[in-house]
Amino acid sequence: MWLTSVSSQTYEANGIHSNDSDEKNEALIYGKRLSSVGPARVTGDLMYEPSNMDLAMKLHYLRVVYLFEVEAMEVLTMPRFKEAIFEWLCYYYESCGRLRREDTHGRPYIKCNDCGIRFVEVKSSKTLQEWLQLGDHSLQHRLLVPDHVVGPELAFSPLVFIQMTALKCGGLAVGLSWAHILGDAFSVAEFMNLCGQFLKGLEATYPANLNKSPPNNAHKPSKPSSTLGSGPLSLKQVSPVGDHWTFPTPCDMATFSFHVTATQLAQLSTKTGPFAALSAAVWRAIAKVRCGPEPNTITVVTRGVANGKAEDSLLRNNQVVSSVEAHFHVATAHIDDLAMLIHNEAQDERAQIEEVVGQNPGGSDFIIYGSNPTFVDIGGADFYGFEVKGMKPRLVNCFVDGIGGGGVVLVLPSPKSGDHEVDDNNGKIGDEGRIVTLILPKVYMEELKKELKEEWSLIA
Amino acid sequence: MEPISSSVRLKYVKLGYSYLVNHFLSLISIPLMAAATVEILRLGPVEILAVLRSLHLDMIQVLCSCFLVIFVATVYFVSKPRPIYLVNYSLFKAQPVFRVPFSTFMEHSKLNLRDNPKSVEFQMRILERSGLGEETCLPPAIHYIPPNPTMEAARSEAQMVIFSAIDDLLDKTGIKPKDIDILVVNCSLFSPTPSLSAMVVNKYKMRSNIRSFNLSGMGCSASPISVDLARDLLQVHPNSYALVISTEIITPNYYQGKERAMLLPNCLFRMGCAAILLTNKKKEKKRAKYQLLHVVRTHKGADDKAYRCVFQEEDPEGKIGISLSKDLMAIAGEALKSNITTIGPLVLPASEQLLFLFSFLGRKFFNPKWKPYIPDFKQAFEHFCIHAGGRAVIDELQKNLQLSHEHVEPSRMTLHKFGNTSSSSLWYELAYIEAKGNMKKGDRVWQIAFGSGFKCNSAVWKCNRTIKDQRDGPWTECIDRYPVHIPEVNKL
Repeated sequence: MWLTSVSSQTYEANGIHSNDSDEKNEALIYGKRLSSVGPARVTGDLMYEPSNMDLAMKLHYLRVVYLFEVEAMEVLTMPRFKEAIFEWLCYYYESCGRLRREDTHGRPYIKCNDCGIRFVEVKSSKTLQEWLQLGDHSLQHRLLVPDHVVGPELAFSPLVFIQMTALKCGGLAVGLSWAHILGDAFSVAEFMNLCGQFLKGLEATYPANLNKSPPNNAHKPSKPSSTLGSGPLSLKQVSPVGDHWTFPTPCDMATFSFHVTATQLAQLSTKTGPFAALSAAVWRAIAKVRCGPEPNTITVVTRGVANGKAEDSLLRNNQVVSSVEAHFHVATAHIDDLAMLIHNEAQDERAQIEEVVGQNPGGSDFIIYGSNPTFVDIGGADFYGFEVKGMKPRLVNCFVDGIGGGGVVLVLPSPKSGDHEVDDNNGKIGDEGRIVTLILPKVYMEELKKELKEEWSLIA
Repeated sequence: MEPISSSVRLKYVKLGYSYLVNHFLSLISIPLMAAATVEILRLGPVEILAVLRSLHLDMIQVLCSCFLVIFVATVYFVSKPRPIYLVNYSLFKAQPVFRVPFSTFMEHSKLNLRDNPKSVEFQMRILERSGLGEETCLPPAIHYIPPNPTMEAARSEAQMVIFSAIDDLLDKTGIKPKDIDILVVNCSLFSPTPSLSAMVVNKYKMRSNIRSFNLSGMGCSASPISVDLARDLLQVHPNSYALVISTEIITPNYYQGKERAMLLPNCLFRMGCAAILLTNKKKEKKRAKYQLLHVVRTHKGADDKAYRCVFQEEDPEGKIGISLSKDLMAIAGEALKSNITTIGPLVLPASEQLLFLFSFLGRKFFNPKWKPYIPDFKQAFEHFCIHAGGRAVIDELQKNLQLSHEHVEPSRMTLHKFGNTSSSSLWYELAYIEAKGNMKKGDRVWQIAFGSGFKCNSAVWKCNRTIKDQRDGPWTECIDRYPVHIPEVNKL
């Protein structure tokens, strides 16, 4: 008889967060079982070499939670799910590999040895409604998605974890824990959407396994960077972490998500898209409530374009990482000014980032998210394209781990109604609203929420 | 050039000798018959009649001689064993979802044996040299970290492998479950109540007067034992079908401790099942694939060392596992010698037997230091199915029987693709030979299995019809990729 309980099963407790608040959380999830899933076919002898941009993101982890209604579990059994996953992973064998370091400079690369991604099965004693109504959104962050990190042994650390939580009402929560070195949030959305296709019964055709490594130095500058010698503002070097890729956030973070309707967005600012408007509002609020010097510089992460058609369906870190500097008082600025600043004056720092990382790819470690307050626009990511047996998720949330003290604000698409495309932040505000997830220092989170509520009525 | 031409000469001498001895009777009888014919022709019919009349045969003598002939013929035909045919057989093919690549196995091993890095290191070394490939399969319960071997999981594995093989077999042969008269199931390490044979009877709603048997604990060599049992039953019961299931259920036997001698099976044993339909019905002769010629069973259990060499027991921490002794290969060699000594006279051509006799007599009476003559079994068999117990077993047998790489290819490739599937491995190897299109009518196959006890069991089959174009079976999708080169050490 194998008795399980969440706190005693500390297999792979390499997570960032300790389990000491687990007594009450134990009631929320239980019955944890770990296994591995990998490609159905032998990949062969392939390597995947991450680019400098990939390496810049290596200490960050994306945690995405998909919540599905009742009936999702009824039509899906675990063996059937796993069968589909094995077929699906034939297309993404790089996510199933394990990291190694090159002999010469210690630059990390992935050996595509079919080791697999870790698969976690748990049950929850709460229904979907109860999860949605939980005041503490960090519980979604902590419990519905594994908080794995790479290391301390690179060769035995999965890059991706998937957690399937069977909810009490028959609903399903799918939690994906993703090492950012593999790709950005847009890649993640495509990754999961293909999984949904396989669940629907997509017949796989297997093209020959190719080298899927990103073209290295894709953004290589033709001459040394022209900015001042201080380097990119969005990139911060941290003390070496060796093979345990975890960055302990310098202060306690709190997580909060709220939905913003299209009407509310219109009230904020009509000059720029929803992302710039929301970012401006939050930036201003942070400047007002934060003690100490104002955050004059922020990092803005937006969607990038693929390098050609062939690269379209591959996992990549194509996101544009820019810095925005305000040379005026942020706390009292007009929101339109801030929004325009974000929209127009963002300095693309990717080339500089790649250059800095490329100088010592095996030894130096950096963070981007949280080095300054970071605003991430993934409103255009097709998260709601991940369907389980034809059913779209009720809600998709996204969190980031391994961030700096500046915090991260994610602007996500809201649940689709009908088939409307969610517009990017260029111009037109669509029918949809947005979901904003704040991961900010606990010390000023409550005040920030109050500020957003009072100033913009953004939070109910 | 000298040694080459002398060995070529020797080869031709041997060939001539074997042809002479094996066809001795026909070589003698031809000139005799020729002489007789010439004599008869010379004498003429009248002379022959005169000779016959002079013998003074009267009715009684003629009738008695006739009766004698008829009597002898009847006794001969009645006591001749019924021919046993193998109509067809089916093998379990695991879905890719159960696949265990090396890297996954090692990672899980590291997590499960967190506190025993030396044991993990040992498993890695075994796996590197094992001869297994990246597509072998373990049952679902073993994929969990840590493995979750409940009885329910074991039953569900048994149902999955056995029912899948039987469904396929019934489909291929067109036989109804109600037609099956004899059922023999062998599964060494999982023996629930009701038995696995009862599970099969229940699932397929077989007749209430079915003769069912469940053999457990008989090790990896149990398949020829089951075939032997089915054969004996088919001698007693005319006009019957016998279904033989050979399998091994991995789930309850995954060793969860850290003793090295017991970790070896974890690295090698994988899921598999064979379902074989045997019959003595004459009407099946046309479509049967094989005819069973001999089954030879050798049991070395009387020797204590042999008895203990594969032993299931508790380790110092109380965890149950199968301990393999270091003398395993030596004992296997001894068991093989015993088996060969018994099977040799049954299958070897006269030329080889004479040579063996001369060598034996010579060593006994003249000079004990003469090298014992190892009969050339390649003259007795076209195909060899050596139980894929591990790379060492196949290497040892290849050396002992002086087999070529082509002869042991089915065994090596089965080990690579499916791992050690215990008693069913012989059938996966046979399927490989068929899938390659190498099985012709009249070909003789020797299946050799080793197992705990210590036993060495053989079965000899003769191919009844050329088997071409196998569209079904576990090798169909991948046969074109085989044979593969298996490196000595597969660095992980």
